[in-house]
Amino acid sequence: MQENKLRVMVVDDHPMWREGVARDLTEAGFEVVATAANGKDAIARFPAARPDVLVLDLQIPAPNGVAVTAEVVRQDAGVRVLILSASGEQQDVLEAVKAGATGYLVKSASRAELVDAVRRVALGDTVFTPGLAGLVLGEYRRLFDTSASTKEDAPRLTERETEVLRLVAKGMSYKQIAERLFLSHRTVQNHVQNTLRKLQLHNRVQLVRYAIEQGLDDVGDGPGGGNADGA
Amino acid sequence: MTVPVAGATKHGAGVEPHGPVQDTMFRALAVLRFVVLLNSLGIYLWRYDGYDHPAVGWLVMAVLVAWTGFAVWAYAAPGRRRPGLLLADLAVAVGAIALSPYVKGEGLNATLPGFWVMGVVLAWAILWRWAGGLTAAVVVCAFDISIRQEFTQKAYGNIFLLILGGAIVGFLSGLLQEMAAQRDRAERAAAAAGERQRLARVVHDGVLQALALVQRRAPELGPVGVELGHLAGEQEVRLRGLVQQDSRDLLAPLGDLDLVVLLSALQTPQVHVAVPGTPATMPAEVATEVVAAVESILSNVRHHVGRDAQAWVLLESMGDRWVVSVRDDGPGIPDGRLEASAAEGRLGVRQSIVGRLHDLGGTARLHSAPGQGTEWELEVPRAGVSS
Repeated sequence: MQENKLRVMVVDDHPMWREGVARDLTEAGFEVVATAANGKDAIARFPAARPDVLVLDLQIPAPNGVAVTAEVVRQDAGVRVLILSASGEQQDVLEAVKAGATGYLVKSASRAELVDAVRRVALGDTVFTPGLAGLVLGEYRRLFDTSASTKEDAPRLTERETEVLRLVAKGMSYKQIAERLFLSHRTVQNHVQNTLRKLQLHNRVQLVRYAIEQGLDDVGDGPGGGNADGA
Repeated sequence: MTVPVAGATKHGAGVEPHGPVQDTMFRALAVLRFVVLLNSLGIYLWRYDGYDHPAVGWLVMAVLVAWTGFAVWAYAAPGRRRPGLLLADLAVAVGAIALSPYVKGEGLNATLPGFWVMGVVLAWAILWRWAGGLTAAVVVCAFDISIRQEFTQKAYGNIFLLILGGAIVGFLSGLLQEMAAQRDRAERAAAAAGERQRLARVVHDGVLQALALVQRRAPELGPVGVELGHLAGEQEVRLRGLVQQDSRDLLAPLGDLDLVVLLSALQTPQVHVAVPGTPATMPAEVATEVVAAVESILSNVRHHVGRDAQAWVLLESMGDRWVVSVRDDGPGIPDGRLEASAAEGRLGVRQSIVGRLHDLGGTARLHSAPGQGTEWELEVPRAGVSS
């Protein structure tokens, strides 16, 4: 596939790591258009850099990775955010995904895995680890359980989506899943993407509802138009 | 790494005065002083006829008024609460008592200051605790008795109450200050622990980054590097598990365990654990049995599939039950293999796992086919959730 070079921005407070990732990506044929060491710089440099993919560490000096994700996705709905996290603090990862990230890797992932993940995220795929799939399954269950008492409509997974997500959480590759369920690779991808999309949509609706309840309903031109660091 | 924490060094400060507690008590005492002063003035006016030396009496009253104002001001600041002030306070009280017979004449019923003397007794009690309260009360009472010609039961009652009150308030003052000091220490310890935890997170994150980097870069160094990277990878997984466990520790009620924490601890470079973000608390005996079952499945994977075989553990909540799946990518178990070993009289893994789960009121199912790996699904009912 001979396309224009993918534009990537790398945000990480660890200089050696940041440079290492940037070098790996450059060697793999990506164009690293910007780097940043903290959330403030990341948000400041993002508009000019216009990356296709943002490779983002969650534990960075404020604003943190979750807030950065929310802000860049608000500015540019087309940007893809790939989370790289060392400690993988579960709640943070889940929040980042709900804020709009579509990929997550543990930092110890190999160089090949990183390059592959950036490429796939750029194509609009979701990059799941089994751990993230487990978190997302748990989040749907939690929303379902709380909706029973609050009478709010929670996002639901279809049976197929649940089935696919469970297999992802059990460590199966999309290819293996496609074989097991007699589906095309693309269909499996779509199911996985939907699981995140519904969660992100629900999250945005919740934010807007919260804003209206708080009387802050002048959120501009649409959902998420408010202050993105209101985490 | 040790972090020096300011203020945490004052330990066992049993006799250390506690400023804020004393301040509060002296503020209360200031109110009391004015009340008893008005009381004494009122009684003085009420009984005004027939004093032997009313002019001296007025003078004494004026001194009491002035001294009350001065004392309230003086005791308000910790720096001014010195022995001299307390002694002067006591001297004024004692002096007023001593002048009472001269002003009122022999056979007096009450001293000039009357209840006003409790101000000084309580001041001593607050600062010097039970010993101070007792001493001041005894001194005041001794003077009171010395000027009386007859010792009535009412006078005895007052003396008794004053001595008792001085000692008790002193004791309570000491107790309050100690408790406040303890609370301060606990607050400091909690703040220090919170700060340590925050620092630990920063340090852990840095260490994790470094380990991950070693793991990725070391293989470029050749065979030794591969070994290094492998080691770094193992440590990275263990530390990550620890960090994630740390932030969950306090969530399980006493007697319960969080299966999320227990399963996460099984994570190794070969074993991948996926869990929900919310705790899965259950009675400790249920949780440990489930973990034991998972461990025996994993050890079976290592034994039959290979030392480096990958395995995936998934914990899910299904509303009325917990489901733990354990999957491997091994060759699978051929049909009849398990039945055969059971027939040979070997109890085998299956029985032990199925038996374990059955005892918990749950089930254990095994799916396997040649070439498709092996998958266990363990289910335990969720206690307290109506299905």
